[in-house]
Formats: sequence, C-alpha cells, structure tokens
Amino acid sequence: MQLTSPEYFVLLALVFFLYWFVRRTGKLAVAAVLAANYFFYATWHPIYLGLVPLAATCDFFLGRAIAGHRPGTARRFFVSLSILLNCSLILSSRYVPFLLDPLTAAHPGIAQMEWLLPLSLSFYAFQAMTYTIDIYRGDAEPAKSILSYLASVSFFPTIIAGPITRVAKLLPQVENNALRLSAEDGGRALFLIGLGLMKKLLIADYLGENLVNRVFDFPKLYSGAETLLAAYGYTFQLYYDFSGYTDIALGSALLLGITLPANFNQPYKAINVADFWRRWHISLSNWLRDYLFFSLPGQRSKWRPYLNLFITFTIGGLWHGANWTFIVWGALHGTGLAVVRGLQALRGKRKPNPGPLLRVVSIVVTFHFVALTWVFFRAATIGTALDVLRQIDSGSVAFTNVTSGFWMVLAIAVLAHYVPGSWYKASLNVFTRMPAPVQAMALAALVLGIRYVAATGSAPFIYGKF
Amino acid sequence: MPRKAALAILCFAAMVVAMHAPFVPAQFRVAAMPYRRLVDFHLRDLRIHPPVYELVEPVYRPHEISRDAVPGLTDPNGNLQHFYAALWRTEQHVPGAITRVLHYGDSPTTADLVTADIRSLLYRQFGDAGHGFVLIARPWAWYGHRGIDLHSEGWHVEAATMNRAPDGFHGLGGVSFTGDTGATSTITLPAGHTRMELQYLEQPGGGTVELTSGDTEIGTVETNGGARAPRFAGFPLPPGARTITVRVTFGRARLFGWWFEKSRPGVVYSSLGLNGGQVEAVLWFFGAKQWTAELRHADPDLIILNYGTNESVYPAYVDKTYEHELRALVDRVRTALPTASLLIMSPMDRGVRDDNGDIVTPPVFPRLIAIQKKVAADTGAAFFNTYKMMGGAGTMAKWYSAQPRLVSADFIHPLPAGAAIVGRIVEEALMKGYAGYKAANRLNETAAAGKSQSQ
Repeated sequence: MQLTSPEYFVLLALVFFLYWFVRRTGKLAVAAVLAANYFFYATWHPIYLGLVPLAATCDFFLGRAIAGHRPGTARRFFVSLSILLNCSLILSSRYVPFLLDPLTAAHPGIAQMEWLLPLSLSFYAFQAMTYTIDIYRGDAEPAKSILSYLASVSFFPTIIAGPITRVAKLLPQVENNALRLSAEDGGRALFLIGLGLMKKLLIADYLGENLVNRVFDFPKLYSGAETLLAAYGYTFQLYYDFSGYTDIALGSALLLGITLPANFNQPYKAINVADFWRRWHISLSNWLRDYLFFSLPGQRSKWRPYLNLFITFTIGGLWHGANWTFIVWGALHGTGLAVVRGLQALRGKRKPNPGPLLRVVSIVVTFHFVALTWVFFRAATIGTALDVLRQIDSGSVAFTNVTSGFWMVLAIAVLAHYVPGSWYKASLNVFTRMPAPVQAMALAALVLGIRYVAATGSAPFIYGKF
Repeated sequence: MPRKAALAILCFAAMVVAMHAPFVPAQFRVAAMPYRRLVDFHLRDLRIHPPVYELVEPVYRPHEISRDAVPGLTDPNGNLQHFYAALWRTEQHVPGAITRVLHYGDSPTTADLVTADIRSLLYRQFGDAGHGFVLIARPWAWYGHRGIDLHSEGWHVEAATMNRAPDGFHGLGGVSFTGDTGATSTITLPAGHTRMELQYLEQPGGGTVELTSGDTEIGTVETNGGARAPRFAGFPLPPGARTITVRVTFGRARLFGWWFEKSRPGVVYSSLGLNGGQVEAVLWFFGAKQWTAELRHADPDLIILNYGTNESVYPAYVDKTYEHELRALVDRVRTALPTASLLIMSPMDRGVRDDNGDIVTPPVFPRLIAIQKKVAADTGAAFFNTYKMMGGAGTMAKWYSAQPRLVSADFIHPLPAGAAIVGRIVEEALMKGYAGYKAANRLNETAAAGKSQSQ
C-alpha cells in the first residue's frame, strides 16, 4: 500500500476516526495505532506480522537490559546485539538477493527461497536503533510500556521512507492521553497531504514519465540538450517525489496529533554540500551524523574526520542499494563534504559573509554538483551514468522529445522550489482558515486535477526519429 | 474528536462519492475505489524474475521434427525453403556452407537489440561464421553491435533517414561516410575472424584507404575509378587479428561499411538498422541500382524487412500509402535477389497513453500488421507476426509494469531483457519452420542413412 494510493487514504480516515474516538482511553488509542501499523505492514506481506513484532520485542527488552546495567561490557554487548539485529534486517531485505545471485545462478532451486521482501525494513531498523543507542548513550529512558514502544517504533506513516524519527521523540506523543488536534493543526495536516499529493503526482511523476525515465533508459537516443534537461528534470523529480512523500507522512501523523521531524528545507538553495545535507533528507543526514559518523574513531585527530566523512557517506550510498552507482554517489558526496570541511578549516573562525552574487554562484555550483551525483543515483548502471554524461558532453542541441507540458511542469517545479518560504506559510494560513467544507472542496479539486493530468498529461511521446 | 478535521474529511469523502453519481459527467469521475485492495493480504509473488516472462536464457534443445504449422510464422508458398536449405548445408558442415541473413529494421535494430539475441541463438545451433556487416562508424550514439567496439573520427555522415546523400549512394546499411586524409575508424571484433571486406564507392578522384591491424598492413584500397559504383575489397586477416583500422591516407574517400567472416560453416547474421528506419526511406532514398548491386554482392539466403513502428505514428499514411510502398519494396528486393528467402517481420507492440492515462496499443497497429500480412501473402513472401507472438495489444503495458521492467518508458524500445524475449520468439519460430522443412524432406533420415553407410 503506497501513501499515494486511494486505499491508503481510506485506511487513514478509518484510523483517524477510530483513534480520536478512543484517544482519551490511552491504551486503546495506542493499540489502534499499533493495529494500523501492522495492518499497513500486512498489506505488503503477511510475513511482516511475524518479523516486525519479533524484532521490536527483542529491541524493547534489549533497551531494558541496557538501562539495567551500568556502563561497561554488558551494556556494550546488549547494544551491539540490537545493532546486529537491526543491521541484519536491513541486510536481509536489501542485500541477500544480491549476495545470493551467484549461488542462484549455479543452483536454480535456491531461487525459490523468495528472499526479496517487498518492503525494505531499513527505516524501521534505523528508528529501532535510535532507541537502543540513545538508551546506551544515556540520552533516553527505556519505554515503560511495550505497547507504546511497538506502536512508536513501527509508526505506519514513517515505514516506507521515513522521516527517520527518534523513538524517544515519538514515545511521549503516543503515550500522551491529553493529546489534542487543534483546528489549525488539522488544517495543516490536510494541507500537507494535499501538497504531498501535488508534489508527487502532478510534478514528480509527470517529469519522470515524460522525459526522465526515457532518457535514463536509453540516453543514447537523445540529444545532449535533452539529456541535460532530463538530468535537471530528475534533480527536481527526486525532490518533489521524496518531499511529497514526506509531506503525506507528516500530514498523516499530524492528523493523529503526532508531529514528525521535517525532512527537507529547500535543498537546492544550499550554498555548499554541507549546507545541502542540512536541507536534504535531514532525518537521514542527522542519523548518519549522530549514529555513524560520531561513532567512528579518530574524531579529534586532524585528518581522520575527513576520512570518516568519506566512509560515512559511502556507507550511506551503499545503504541505498547494492549497486556501484550508489557507492559512487555516496563517495562523491563524502568527497564533497570533506572538501567543504577542508575549506572551512582553512578559513578558520572567520564567518563567511558572501555577497548576493557569490551566494548565487555558490548555489548554482552546489546545485550542479548535486545534479551530477543524481545521475549516478538514478542510472541503472555505471555504464548508463557515463552514457548520460557523454551525451551531455556531446553538446548536440535538439528538443524534439521535450513536450511543452514538460517545459511547463519543470518551470513550475523550479519556481516553486525557489519561492520564499513566507509564500508557503501564507498559503498554509489561507488553507487552515478555510471552513471545513471549503478545505474538502480544495482537496476534491486537487484529486480532479490529478485525474486530469494522469489522463492527458502523459501525452503521446512522438520522436522525430526512433 | 477534532471536529473541523473530521468534518473536512467527511465532506471530502462525500464529494468523492458524489463524483460517481450517474448524472456526473465522466470527466469528473475519479477512478473507482478499489475497496477489495484495502484488505488484500494475498502473498505477493516475491520471485526475482517475473512469472509471465521467463527471462532465464534457455538451454538450447534440438528442435523436434514437427509438421505442425508454426505459430506466428506464415509461409504458405514455402518461401523460406531456400533459407532452410542453406541452414541444412550449414548444419551438415558442408565446407564453405555459410548461411547469410540480412536483417533490416529501425531503431531497435540499429542498437542490435533483438538481432543480437537471434544471432547468438543461431550461432549456438549452427556455428558462428562471423559478424557480417558493420557500418564504418557510429552515425548516431545509439548505433552499436553486441561484441563490437567502434571508434572513429573525421567522417562526414549521410544517412538515408536523415541528411541524405544527394546521389542516393548509401551502401548496404543505408549510411555513407566521407572522409578526407586522416579520417579513421577502428573496430574491435570477437576472436576468430579470418577475412574482411571493405565496401566503398569507386568514383573519379577517389582517395586512398589503408587497412591495418596493429602494425600489420592488411591492404590498400584505391577508390579512384572511372565509374561511380559500389565496390568491395576483400582481404584475409592476419592470424589473431581483432582490431582493424581503416584510414584515409590520400584524398577523399567514401566508404559504406565492412564485412567480417570466419572460415568455417555457420551463420552470418547482419543487423542493418537505421534510426527512423521505415519502408519509405529504403524505397526512396536507397539508390535502387546501387542497393541492388550491394544486395547481390552480399548474396543473403534470407532477407528480413522489419519495419512498421515509425510508420504507425502516421495512421493516414498507413491507410493510404503504406501497402503500395511495402509492395514496391518487396518487388525491389525480389528483383535484386530472386532466389533468396524474404521474410516480412512485423514490428513489436508499441504503447501510447490513452485518454484515461492507460498504456494501450495505437488503433492503427492491427491495421498496419494486416497490411504487412496481406502484402506478404500477395507477393509470396513469408510473414512473422512479432506483435501477436509477444502477446498482441497491450503487451507493452504489461512489459512496462513487469518487474524487472522489459520496455523503456517510451513504451517502444525494449530493454535488454525484453529484447531477449523477442529474439527468442523469432528464433524459435524460424527453428520450428526449419524442423518442419527437415521433416517434410526427410533430411534427418537421409543424413542418418548416409552416416550408417559411411560406417
């Protein structure tokens, strides 16, 4: 069940009414969230009904065991066990098919083992690790109720792709019997869901369907200019896809009165790579910083942090998938971050105060660096990524395969990203002040718009030559 | 209960339900809610390979002799018998028995999609007698042959489907390459090729071309001559030669392609695709006289005409002109190669988005394929219905949603896994036809008797 599917919104509506109906009873409300979590998992595969509660229960008791021991070997053992358990979940859902490839090729019968899980448990595992590691570090207390823990660690809006939320931040909200949803927050939640749908279905999918996917399938069929446009298109497609998803997740959680952390902050306004990672997939970069980078040895040495940045982001790349393209993507970002850190070290404590022109140049340079790395992120193989870059380098100019609709949507995507944040707040205020029926009408109009674009937006794609 | 949010949700739900009322125009109806999917907990197919399209390359099994008609392949006049007879000689390892196939097509063919798969399957069955025809250089980035590496510089390219050569001399492959002194191309081949041929235009004032393999000189070709006509210069290759370079050493030379073979019985399957390739381009822009000469020199046992995708963009053209032009093209091939087998191969399915956003086959497609079948029947050519054998209308929609995906997001160009499926479908049809031919002529029994006598 995807967060953009109609059945998800039916589920969300049912959960909303059930949850608020029993909210004051406390435990029943937590149980409703837990039931929704596991229902959501089960729509992907019933195997999760065994896997997730089992893993979560282990972490719950490991958390208690960590808290129950003084700093020393036992605590390290228990936290290591938790890390091992959760890393195994990530590995089993992401890499086992890849690792088994040579084996299945030699013994076709092994292919029946059905290792490929339809939903990666990475985000679940990241959240679970925040719980035990925070307890280990003394930054959090263990959960008092296993029910609350299970409901928090596998909170359904965050399951597919985050935002990665510290369990310690979720637990108090889930357990709070006095939780209320103000009219403003309710409006904000609906606004976020509508905005997310718009980002995902009207912008990201349109860009993907109408040029980006085709170019990245067979870059050699397109001119250099079209390929460059597809690379830009993908840069915005990915942002609108992912931030659209996040908006829906944030809105869904907020409908239940739960606030999740922000995940994006106009990332293509970043003035350098470090700034980019403070604006892009913030929950992942925070997680990598707090739980991986700071855990690596040599933080106080002069040179080791540079290597650690490279290692952290290469591992971050590898986490996205068992493919060299992700490793290259991660390594490029790791290198970029190390370079930025080096430049900052050279500058010393002087605070930069770039003028408007230098700021624009920095944004443009950073944007293009990020767009270049997205080529590797998107391409199926390194060879395809290089083909994309070669096509761009060919310098051939033709826009035969670019429809006017694509130009328009890309222009909207660019403008919408760079408008001042105050515009967003203003439109949010307008929406939240609307009467409920008008809010509903706005959402219904959006649904019609999505239907219209799905029908006519993906216009026939006629090549001049193919 | 948060009243305002609850009211907004209820109002929204009421509006969505109201959109499906009978009096509401269709354009205001959103897709019906798939309520059943809400509680759909059936086990998803978790296998890596899609169940419908088996992607594992099959282990070749000798085809059973069968008199049954071959699905998708129509050959009532036995037009493919010449090809089958050549295959039989090749299979019997008769010295010098090379079966040559020329496969003309559009963009998938120019990238050697499908053709590379057919080639490799036929080579496994009958032996690899060489790669056949390759253009002098890449006329577009999309051009490429599996197992071949091609680097070049300094050529002026004129393709029959693009900036055509005014004189219509486009060579066997439809592309002409003109180079001044220094223009060069280097090709790297799979091992085992023993001879090559350079195809060029002889013309007054033509330049000199040198062929080398590393430091070894293969030969020199003078393209200067009194007549303007396609010519062919053949050379043995040095033992072990895999990298060959052609360089214009003096003046200006015009080249069309090179051809590589091995000294053993087998199949040579040449892929001759053009970006934007269509019947019209071949008919009007391949100079008739020169193309006839090129075809006769190539002397194929089978020539495949695999067009239609580009034509399907223009329904009016298909309905009014296509049949006439396809018939004219078949006549031209027949005139050039009266005894060779001729196969009209339909295009693969093609997808477009309809008004509901669904991926569907354009309505003109079945009409285009019916025309191809009719022309084949009228002219005595064989016909293979690739479109039908893939699954017919809507196949590209299925391929687009298959995991892994089998067609590009343009719903036209198959991804390598999809191309392999089509290649296998075509090869299987040809082999079933061949098995029928052997059965009808009792060739296996004759061969067995011959063997026992010799023992």
